[in-house]
Amino acid sequence: MSRPAQIDPRGARFTAAITAVLLLVDVALGLVEGVAATLAERALQPAFLLLAVLAAIFVWSAAGGVARNPWSIVFRRLVRPRLKPPAELEDAAPPTFAQGVGAFVTLVGVVLHLAGVPYALVIAAAAAFVAAFLNAAFGYCLGCQIYLLLVRAGLIRRAAAA
Amino acid sequence: MEPLGALALVAALVAVTTALGFVWRSRQGRIRTTTGADAVTIDGVDLGSVTLLQFSSEFCAPCRATARVLDDLAQEHGIAHVELDVAQRPELAARFGILQTPTTLVLDDTGRIRARIGGAVRREQLSAELTRLTVAA
Repeated sequence: MSRPAQIDPRGARFTAAITAVLLLVDVALGLVEGVAATLAERALQPAFLLLAVLAAIFVWSAAGGVARNPWSIVFRRLVRPRLKPPAELEDAAPPTFAQGVGAFVTLVGVVLHLAGVPYALVIAAAAAFVAAFLNAAFGYCLGCQIYLLLVRAGLIRRAAAA
Repeated sequence: MEPLGALALVAALVAVTTALGFVWRSRQGRIRTTTGADAVTIDGVDLGSVTLLQFSSEFCAPCRATARVLDDLAQEHGIAHVELDVAQRPELAARFGILQTPTTLVLDDTGRIRARIGGAVRREQLSAELTRLTVAA
């Protein structure tokens, strides 16, 4: 089995922090703006546009690895050169899994908002904020719980390693 | 919604999430001792001595660090450390009610569950608990 990609854990926390701030901004925008009357208007609301961008970033980095997340790239280019080398590296798989969960939650918010469901955008953005903030500030690991739930629900099963 | 009301809600969201974070962190690695009634047996796992049984998964950031600490402690105390992947043994995750990885069960030499630790282990506390357990045994 090939060794999974390794990342600087501080980069993952940095990425989560920026994501959390943007999601919080989106919650505020969503609360102020509410839900517009027509589909075309809803698709142009700033809260919707921001969440759509965040959802696209989640999808992009869930598919290609968290190292591809724009904020991870900012960290590597601008922040990491100013820091000491990391004490240790971590697998990229857990934060990449978390990006996938973020993609799912924000896409649900995007679709329901377009459908005109009240508060769907705010709730989706708030849920994603909670996970991103806990990860950034407390080191909370979404994959540690959600993945297990999927396993226990019978949705994921791995054959024992030979 | 008025901007002021939105701001208040956003502030409340941050406050509640922060409180949640402190609660979560205080529970991570807490050792819950149990007086396990029945000896457990697990297919493919030899439970002849005091055993640190760790449940891990692929998408778990703290699992590897926990595995390292448990390996060290197992050597120090002359006990066993077994790591299982929940995706390979989902029936065990259900049987032991595992809700997060890593979760570590401390089994005594008769196979009874003596303690349970959710989340990354705290080395000093677990070491003290193991000393208590292995000396009493």
